[in-house]
Amino acid sequence: MGLGFMIGVFGVLILSHAAYSTIQYRGLLKIMEEEFSGPPMNVVLELLLGFFFCIWAALTVPGNFLSIHPESEENRIVSLSANLDFMIFNHRAKVFPLEIDMKLKH
Amino acid sequence: MAGHGDSSSSQKKSSEVMNDVPTFSAENLQNNMKVIYYSRTFMSIIGGVIAGILGFTGFMGFIFYFLVMAVTSIGLIAKSKFSVHSYFDSWNRIILDGFMGGLMSFVLFWTFAYDIVHIF
Repeated sequence: MGLGFMIGVFGVLILSHAAYSTIQYRGLLKIMEEEFSGPPMNVVLELLLGFFFCIWAALTVPGNFLSIHPESEENRIVSLSANLDFMIFNHRAKVFPLEIDMKLKH
Repeated sequence: MAGHGDSSSSQKKSSEVMNDVPTFSAENLQNNMKVIYYSRTFMSIIGGVIAGILGFTGFMGFIFYFLVMAVTSIGLIAKSKFSVHSYFDSWNRIILDGFMGGLMSFVLFWTFAYDIVHIF
């Protein structure tokens, strides 16, 4: 999860660098008074690279798919939500010795 | 055994599965839908930024959006290891879900990036 997030941030950084390069390229075109037909090739390559990093992050960061079949391996254990009706406190732990450290309060 | 008032997972006993409609764990299905939604939204935003940087206007931009969504769908199908039916109940979910909501995000970031790069 951490690695995927870093790759996503890296992809966004690459995209913003490509945006900055395009802004500079347009400034250059304004000076030379030419039309903007498309960003230069290295910007296109940079956009493609950033796109692939972001796709990789988009597919790995949100989480895994969980199987929806009730009889698949990972769904075997039935889990009840924490419901107060099922909690009991009258169990055997009361025979354990108490582990409170008695500190005198000043 | 799962209680009746338990709404977090709907699982039936295996003896009832044989002569019943195929049942599935709704909680896991919801989790899968959430994963798809996050993935598609993020890719719509990234696609919008790229379309703005490349300078697409008009129809070309929407073509690009469909392209990005198709690539995302293929990526999601590959993520589910090509056995879609063990994670979803129908094909429509993994292909079409989040399409229209993503379109709004795409157009927003497309105009945003286009303005930043080409106009200001």
